Amino acid sequence: MKKGILKQIKSSWVLYLMLFPALLYFSIFHVIPLFGMKLAFQDYRIIGDNVWVGWKHFKVLFSSPAFMDVLKNTIIISVMKIVFFFPIPILLSLLINEVRIGKFRKYVQSIVYLPHFLSWVVIAGIWITFLNPDDGGVNVIRNFFNMPSLDFMTSKDHIRWVLVFQEIWRSAGWDSIIYLAAILKISPSLYEAAKIDGASKIQQMRYITLPSLTSTIMTVFILNLGFFMNAGFDQVFNMMNTSVISVIDILDTYVYRIGLINGQYAYATAASLFKGVIGVILILSTHFISKRFTGKGVW
Amino acid sequence: MNKLKKLSVSTIIIYSILFLISLTVLIPLLHLLAMSLSDPLKVHELSGLGIIPEGFSLINYKILLSNPLIIKSIFNTLFITIVGTALNLLLTAMTAYVLARTKFPGRKLVMIFLIVIMVFEPGLIPEYLLVKDLGLLDTYASLILYKTINIFYLFIMMRFFEDVPESILEAARMDGAGHFRIFTKIMLPLSKPALATMGLFYGVYHWNEYFRATIYLTDTDKWPLQLVLRQFVVERDNTSMLGAQNFLSYEQIAALDFASLQAGTIIISIVPLLLLYPLILKYYAKGALEGGVKD
Repeated sequence: MKKGILKQIKSSWVLYLMLFPALLYFSIFHVIPLFGMKLAFQDYRIIGDNVWVGWKHFKVLFSSPAFMDVLKNTIIISVMKIVFFFPIPILLSLLINEVRIGKFRKYVQSIVYLPHFLSWVVIAGIWITFLNPDDGGVNVIRNFFNMPSLDFMTSKDHIRWVLVFQEIWRSAGWDSIIYLAAILKISPSLYEAAKIDGASKIQQMRYITLPSLTSTIMTVFILNLGFFMNAGFDQVFNMMNTSVISVIDILDTYVYRIGLINGQYAYATAASLFKGVIGVILILSTHFISKRFTGKGVW
Repeated sequence: MNKLKKLSVSTIIIYSILFLISLTVLIPLLHLLAMSLSDPLKVHELSGLGIIPEGFSLINYKILLSNPLIIKSIFNTLFITIVGTALNLLLTAMTAYVLARTKFPGRKLVMIFLIVIMVFEPGLIPEYLLVKDLGLLDTYASLILYKTINIFYLFIMMRFFEDVPESILEAARMDGAGHFRIFTKIMLPLSKPALATMGLFYGVYHWNEYFRATIYLTDTDKWPLQLVLRQFVVERDNTSMLGAQNFLSYEQIAALDFASLQAGTIIISIVPLLLLYPLILKYYAKGALEGGVKD
């Protein structure tokens, strides 16, 4: 038996050779930094070995009001996005599904998908221009309705809403694809039957389309929860400015600033390990919940 | 009669809403285009919602495309995108072939390894320190070697490969072709749409990447376009925006509008995406669904 396996291994040498670059890559660029997270329990030394300090950084972290603010911002922004962004792609897919003119449908789809492919730098640039307090498009509209101009980018009261709307602008179109695909799989005979029974368009939407989407909606929702602690690093990083940092600084931007700008490597790693552990717990639990209820997991 | 009328009203409302939604995407982009093409002396007349240039001038593009920093950064981005995507595709496809279409002792172990590292992401600081320790700071390699194999994409690629009929591979095996030959001569040519999809996934990522460049590249000569753009548009740093413009008089420089120059830079950075957009729509969406929720 053992000989058999050895023989198999020997005859599969080409396969191991083909796998080797990937395994080498992951070992160096993924596994090494993964173990590098032990820095969270050390003090960083430029010369010589790092010194183990146990939970020191975590103690400082959890007694620091700055970190608590960052944690709070992360949770608030994530919750706002789940509540106000999540339903939009579903509604959009329902609307697009009602379009029967092929050309118009194609036109709408190709336009609303477009922002997904723009970089966050470009998106930030577009929004900074459009929210400009002097002559930005949004304020042109506000003035038209006799409302005073607002400087959204520096307003603590508005900036989180800007993030939510920006997320809608960027991703609602693209995220609707998954629901549209699910709608296409609904059997047309259901609609035929409903029409014979005299159901209106709205009733068909309410009683056929939406219920058929439930499992897709659940799956997407659960998978999104797995990334709850991210809150959108690239977006915040590019929309950040000194006026609003206190309300939109999130875990990832905090780690970047404390670690790479201020050079407190170990302390920042502690913050990022905290985020990572919660992230892993969320991903694993959402994976198993999703598997259990919908049969589909993260992998 | 009544019913017909009611139906058409709801249809009109739906079409109008979708039309308005598409305008919210189009107008900001067209506005930036109009700004960049306006005469710098007249651009202040352009409304915040205007999409038709006030006057017409290519001066902004002349300035931007004569700026050595921008030209250099375009070539940097092209280099990183092309070399990066080629390496991404080669490694992802080769690994996907082995894992999706062959049997060998240890396959299960490799799959578990991949899932484990997919769940456990290293943090920013250890990644930075590794790149630093390897002496890769300020090299293109630091960007090319970031997520060279994206595990999500690897799994999507495996699904594509699983769709290739076994009979074709079996026939090749009968002819005595080895795994490497089957991979290069049969699997890859049969998977052109899959490779196009993956190439677009990785290519768009490289073209839009700015964050790794922010932390790994201090040498502005190596900066990708997105980072130069970020400097102009997000950090509002105008100093490097004007290159060596010998062809401009002082009056002309004084008359320049920086917002228009910023708009021009944004447009330059999205033109390649727009050119590829028909391909993106064709392949990308299909691939995304493949990797997303599969019913």
